[in-house]
Amino acid sequence: MRTMQAWAALLALVANGGAVASDPLPPEQFGMEPLPARTPHWIYVVDSAFMNEIDSRVRLYDADTHGHLGQIDAGFFPGVTLSPDRNTLAVGTTYFARGGHGERTDVVEFTDTTTLAITGEIVLPPKRAQATPTSFNLGYSSDSHFLYVAYITPAASFGVLDPVSRKVLGEIDTAGCVLVIPWGPDHVSSICDSGRLLTVRLDAHGNEVSRALSDLFFDVDTDPLFVQGIPTDQGCTFLSFLGKVHEVDFSGPEPVIHPPWSLVSSSEAGHWRPGGQQLGAIQRRMGRLYVAMHRGGEGSHKQGGTEIWVFDLGTHRRLARWPVATLKLAPVTAVQVSQDEAPLLFLASDSVASVATLDALTGQLRHLDRNLGQTPWQILNP
Amino acid sequence: MLPIALLGATAAVGAAAQAGPAEDYALHCMGCHGVNAQGVPGKVPPLAHSLVRFMNSVEGRRYVLRVPGAANSMLSDARLAAVLNWVVAQFDAGDLGRATPQFGAQEVAANRHRPMAGVLATRAAVLKEIAAGGPAPAAEY
Amino acid sequence: MQRLDRIFESSARSLAQRTSRRSFIGVLGQILTGSLLIPLLPIDRIQRAEAATGPEGSPAAPGKVPAAAKGKSASKPYTEDQQSCEYWKYCAIDGFLCSCCGGSSHTCPPGTQMSVVSWIGTCHNPADGRDYIVSYNDCCGKASCGNCDCYRNERERPLYRLSRNNDVNWCMANTGSDYHCTVSVILGSAGP
Repeated sequence: MRTMQAWAALLALVANGGAVASDPLPPEQFGMEPLPARTPHWIYVVDSAFMNEIDSRVRLYDADTHGHLGQIDAGFFPGVTLSPDRNTLAVGTTYFARGGHGERTDVVEFTDTTTLAITGEIVLPPKRAQATPTSFNLGYSSDSHFLYVAYITPAASFGVLDPVSRKVLGEIDTAGCVLVIPWGPDHVSSICDSGRLLTVRLDAHGNEVSRALSDLFFDVDTDPLFVQGIPTDQGCTFLSFLGKVHEVDFSGPEPVIHPPWSLVSSSEAGHWRPGGQQLGAIQRRMGRLYVAMHRGGEGSHKQGGTEIWVFDLGTHRRLARWPVATLKLAPVTAVQVSQDEAPLLFLASDSVASVATLDALTGQLRHLDRNLGQTPWQILNP
Repeated sequence: MLPIALLGATAAVGAAAQAGPAEDYALHCMGCHGVNAQGVPGKVPPLAHSLVRFMNSVEGRRYVLRVPGAANSMLSDARLAAVLNWVVAQFDAGDLGRATPQFGAQEVAANRHRPMAGVLATRAAVLKEIAAGGPAPAAEY
Repeated sequence: MQRLDRIFESSARSLAQRTSRRSFIGVLGQILTGSLLIPLLPIDRIQRAEAATGPEGSPAAPGKVPAAAKGKSASKPYTEDQQSCEYWKYCAIDGFLCSCCGGSSHTCPPGTQMSVVSWIGTCHNPADGRDYIVSYNDCCGKASCGNCDCYRNERERPLYRLSRNNDVNWCMANTGSDYHCTVSVILGSAGP
């Protein structure tokens, strides 16, 4: 008898899908998923969406949970930067009134990075440099008092904006020098075809006080500088087509440009080169430089890296070469590294749209995500 | 190689390919200033019927050599002089063009590396000076 | 007289007065109907050029021309296919080939406008051994074409050398500055 009851109970259990006198699922809450607290392992991946350029995006990704946290729309040919306090993501972009055509509006849109809500915008004159994303398409002064936006019409200049009152204050003619590298509260440097940096100093209202050209430090004809410089604690580090490293110090009253050192040995020179969009990243605490390197010649400067070379910035010694093919990664077009004590290295490829997360100390692959954009060309790590 | 006579004043010092000023215009100027040196209204100034007037004023000549497109050009001093002279000969071949003193490498070298702060502001000031002495290019373009 | 001189001679004398500023392509189209069109090469010359040149393409490239990260680039023999990234005229083209978008290698698709500014480079034609000056204009006013994405950068240079840069939207100075595709227009042969 007990056995039959037991069998009946078991059958009833099975018929009910295993639930024992189950209650239905409770109704769910409507609402918006809140953004978790920021961690050092968040990245913003700038996807210029080249096949659908009016629909570029910035995707926020948590590399610890492999979680997609959200998206910021970025219009057409965006430039992206974070405010010094990291609480605002500023996107300089273009929108056409009818999607792919119609009246052009250039704008900087501000997004709160704790909610991913747009908090406002500044409409610009239709002069914004519609160029591939770098760290210097737009940028904040160190005290967040000014926001600078690179203009190319094709004449080169930059807009000076007040991000607090959300106004355009004025425009500074840079006589052909391009992009905006802000340093200090009131200095902006631009890169010149003459192989120099132009530095403009502004007053409290954003008007020019003075300007100066640096000494010649790179030869545009024989070894051009990549414009995708890497911000550092002291200033900025630039790489050249043939693998020279030019470290610029902005901590004093004027830029100090250190003598260059080389990523490549004499036998490697001319054959191994940096390449891609965001070619390199610096882990500041450890003093390490990570560069996407490939074998190639003239015309290969945008080719993605087949290896990541790791250097010690103190000794200039190469510490490692990590072939991406053995990690089953496609050539790398963007490199970024987190600044915490357990640093992660982020590698994006635009040929097979993906972002890989590696241990920045060992080069071991942690995760590969294939859904972080169509053409991920820049990675920001707040 | 082209006969030297065809190169004329455009002989470039140390240039591997002896490109003439027409080719230099195409490669270094035409992309923005246009096949007829007409510029783009509101964005790129014209050179036709304009450069010649700048070249007839002291400050105008200095200005023209210091604008970013000239100052930063990949052309040597001699070839920059030649292409500017060519623009005048090509697009302003009348009396004014013929009377306009040509640029030489020395004048180019003396001026092109003096950086200019505000291109538009300098242009406006130079145009005022030109207008005081005769017909001047339009301030707006 | 140099070939390129003749472009400007005919342009300045007969076209400057008639041609409006409206259309770069209008002016160029008239120029190219003159005597400077490069004639089609007989097949035997193409075959000899293929045998002689191999995969190198440009004489300026010191090493092998590498495969690009996206799109295709010239690591293959000479081709006459104007819808192929390897076509010699596309040696520094970054974008979609208008020849795959309703235009041709040198004309814009219907309903798009040629960019009023461009950058101008040189490409080597292995078939006749000459370097040619080409104008890389963008076609503007519609959303991305998306076909035949090419990514070649021979002698291309960064943004501060705008006259050699293909990272910028060359539709920038057009009223409708949305980028659709890119053409490569022969202006004339380069050098002696």
